[in-house]
Amino acid sequence: MKTILTLFTLVASTMFLTAAPEYDFYICAKVNRDYVIGSKVETVNGVFKRTDDGSWEHQGYNDTTLTAVAFDPRDHNVVYTSANNGLWRSLDGGQHWRICNDWDMTEARHVAVDPNAPDHVYLSLPDGIAVSTDRAQTLVRRENGLPERGKYTQLVAIDRTQAGRAFAGCEVGIFFTENGAESWRRVLETADITNDIKQSPHDPDHWLAVTQSAGAWSSHDRGLTWSQIDGVPSAHSLHNVTFDMTNPQRLAVGSWGLGVLTSEDGGKTWQDRNAGLPEPHRVWRVGVDPSGRLYASVHKQTLFYSDDFGRTWQPDTLVGSLVNYFVILPKADR
Amino acid sequence: MKLTQIFAVVVILAATGTAIAQPSAEAAPPDQTVVRDAAIRQAAYLARVDEVLNWRASGATVQTDDPGNLGLAAIASKLALGEDLENCSLSVIEVMKDPGTGPFWMFPNVGVAFLGRDLLSAAAQAAIRETWRTTRQLRGDTENHWVMYYASLYLMSELYPNEPGESWYNGLSSEENLAEARAFLIDWIDLTTTVGQGEFNATHYIGEYAIPMLYLKAWAEDPEMQQRGEMMLDWLFAELANNTLNGVLRGPNSRTDEGSVIERWNALSSYFSWLLFGNTPPTRGYGGWGIYFATVAQHYQLPEVIYRLATDRGDDFVQHDRARVRRRWRYSEELSPPVYKTQYLRDDYAVGSTTGGQLDPIQAHVWDVTWDEPDPRGKHNTMFSLHPLSSGRVMQMYFTAYPEPWIKGVTNEGKPSYDSPDKVVGSSPYEQVFQSLDTVIALYDIPAGTRFPHINGFFSKDLVNLTEDDSGWIFAQGGRTYLAYRPLAGYHWIPYLHYNGGWAKEKLPLGGQLLTSPHLKNGTIVQAASVDEFASFADFKQAMRALPLEFSLEPTPTVTMTTLRGKHLLITYGEAPVVDDEPLDYSQWKLFEGPHLNAEIGGRKMTITHGQLQRVLDFNTLTISDSVTAGK
Repeated sequence: MKTILTLFTLVASTMFLTAAPEYDFYICAKVNRDYVIGSKVETVNGVFKRTDDGSWEHQGYNDTTLTAVAFDPRDHNVVYTSANNGLWRSLDGGQHWRICNDWDMTEARHVAVDPNAPDHVYLSLPDGIAVSTDRAQTLVRRENGLPERGKYTQLVAIDRTQAGRAFAGCEVGIFFTENGAESWRRVLETADITNDIKQSPHDPDHWLAVTQSAGAWSSHDRGLTWSQIDGVPSAHSLHNVTFDMTNPQRLAVGSWGLGVLTSEDGGKTWQDRNAGLPEPHRVWRVGVDPSGRLYASVHKQTLFYSDDFGRTWQPDTLVGSLVNYFVILPKADR
Repeated sequence: MKLTQIFAVVVILAATGTAIAQPSAEAAPPDQTVVRDAAIRQAAYLARVDEVLNWRASGATVQTDDPGNLGLAAIASKLALGEDLENCSLSVIEVMKDPGTGPFWMFPNVGVAFLGRDLLSAAAQAAIRETWRTTRQLRGDTENHWVMYYASLYLMSELYPNEPGESWYNGLSSEENLAEARAFLIDWIDLTTTVGQGEFNATHYIGEYAIPMLYLKAWAEDPEMQQRGEMMLDWLFAELANNTLNGVLRGPNSRTDEGSVIERWNALSSYFSWLLFGNTPPTRGYGGWGIYFATVAQHYQLPEVIYRLATDRGDDFVQHDRARVRRRWRYSEELSPPVYKTQYLRDDYAVGSTTGGQLDPIQAHVWDVTWDEPDPRGKHNTMFSLHPLSSGRVMQMYFTAYPEPWIKGVTNEGKPSYDSPDKVVGSSPYEQVFQSLDTVIALYDIPAGTRFPHINGFFSKDLVNLTEDDSGWIFAQGGRTYLAYRPLAGYHWIPYLHYNGGWAKEKLPLGGQLLTSPHLKNGTIVQAASVDEFASFADFKQAMRALPLEFSLEPTPTVTMTTLRGKHLLITYGEAPVVDDEPLDYSQWKLFEGPHLNAEIGGRKMTITHGQLQRVLDFNTLTISDSVTAGK
């Protein structure tokens, strides 16, 4: 445990001091457009890692349905993906995979590993939350405190400062646990699904959340109370939110309808950054890589990037991709 | 009579020798005489099976110059016939170089694996086995996907026992896969036999259940799983038999499509009626997936009681059933609300309905009156109305998706009409339906701002004597059925345009028209009657005009009427129906209740009855009991 905390402390401190921090950058992407059950998988899909030359290296299985990827911080060869079938785990860097859930868990929305308790894996499901305490060898539902209906869970976001402390984005709001999902309580009631929750890499007390039709929310007290962000409209679905680890003032939101919104003053004001992106402004996800490059995955188009935080855009090399998830990881020995 | 049947069998057998021909699809409709001799019935069934296999094995509609490049359906058919085995092996090796993913690839693969166990080369069998190591199989997101997926996984795990996780695409050992598949299959059967099917009375997806169940019956090593397979086939086919009108499955349907909902015969279910009951022509290509059933069909013998249910109708009858809505992930107080179905079947027509509301998000068909046609091919023998709902939020109830791309997405994924205002498939939360025998009252209360704020009534090209009467009723005749349709609000007519298939991009003018009524508070009343009941069409019209009828649309639609059958109805949107002054309590309905099918909620037991014949399917004891009651 101490090792992990030390690792994150090092990460937090080095990210501001080093010009080219040593991070890996991963995405979960679907390139096979309009895939439906029964049709042919025609392209490579799944987890891609960006290589040093800027290209994308496919890792693991070809799967059109991946929603998220997570790694054991002690050993990046231990990989978890959430997907249509549920939770997949590889112990050898993607060479071999095992499905970890039984038939009564399906269509997983997200997977997360607790950095302070790396054997603990959280699986977000359309009907709740399952947790493993043994690296996904076994999974059990941990839904005490979640409502019987309304527990559709889009993701579980884990607080990197404390083992077992996490937030679940659900249909009826944000739920909070500080005992490894033994129990949950609602800290924000929303009129619609919480699509994303992120913890600031600069200030662990600062959290952002976005919803389908209930706007964007911010917390500065470790997620215990939330206030709505005025500058982000709620008229359109907000798919995700991201911080920029190189600059504490820079935030970005990806939205179906609003496209890319950015803030460069810590969320006080927001700008439309769609000039140069194809219309209509249907942004599936935004992400920021370790160098501060902003990405926008545009539905039915491809992945775009911007080196000036959204003022200008260029298409990325992963042609035709739709990104479901961006991950930045401190490089590991393995 | 017996000679006629024997002759028919001989003709069919002779015809199967002709390559590419689909004799039964091209011939006149089959003789609907009831075949009482079990041996003749079985011979005719097997002759139909041979017709299918020979057609597919001979190349179907597409000839290939490369005998080593057959598709899985042709391979399965040839293996079932025991012919062209060398090319089958070569083709398997080729096909397995580019394996598919998901249940629609798994179950054909399993079929070839088992049919070829003793026939394919070792290299071909190894090629099949290798795909189950290398290719991640998606489980899907729908009940039929899961049944296909787990039946396939179950059988392959039995075929290749004692193999480690490294030898399977999902990292589980043979025993782990077998245990999980078994657990799911038993749970699905338990659910179906206690609270009903989620995909009930599906016009096409019946195949996606029947084929896996037949595979289990034919190939499972565990005798109990074999038994479950056979009993579920009986369960599915008993319901098919009971709900068909001379082989044609009508509404309601949990899932169907544009083709089947207007041309009621045009569905995979008709292939099964033809194959099992012999009472309607098969669809062209034998329903596509139906080929795989034929490859193993000799393992199933239809019980006489089910056959008679389909073919030997006596009195008119009412059947009340329950089913369930497919699971709702969100935006709903219930995971899988109950569905209440009413069926009324007569010689000349049938009326069927659910109580409306939100059913399957895309492909449900809530109610209709369907009349019999001597040759149903190409006939649009049905009448109904619906609210053409199109809603991303409703999609989200059932799918783990974002709302925005879904509406456009499903139109590109096999459901082209989903976002069309003139569509004729779909359920709506703003529709409530009540049926009393052959009277249907559908009421609509559509919130302002709803996409497509109108209702559509389907008026077939095959209706005759269509008359817009001064009384407000619209009268027509379909086959030997008189129909009266009462719109409760103003309307206009538009041509019916048809998407011809799931991937169609353009609409075709097939004839017929839609009654479109652009009013949020709305309703439809339909009354059917047989031509035999009236001296003339004029008499029917006069009888309808004379029925006591009052209705209002504000503040909520409400109808008070006395039906042609003398039932006094008070039907108000949002309230329990009142029949002869008694409010109706659907919660008391059984899983099946009628003269032919009976089952209790939670019972795991169905009793199938026809005349003196009775079969009891008891999943509690995994037993089938047949009896013949004297004197009935």
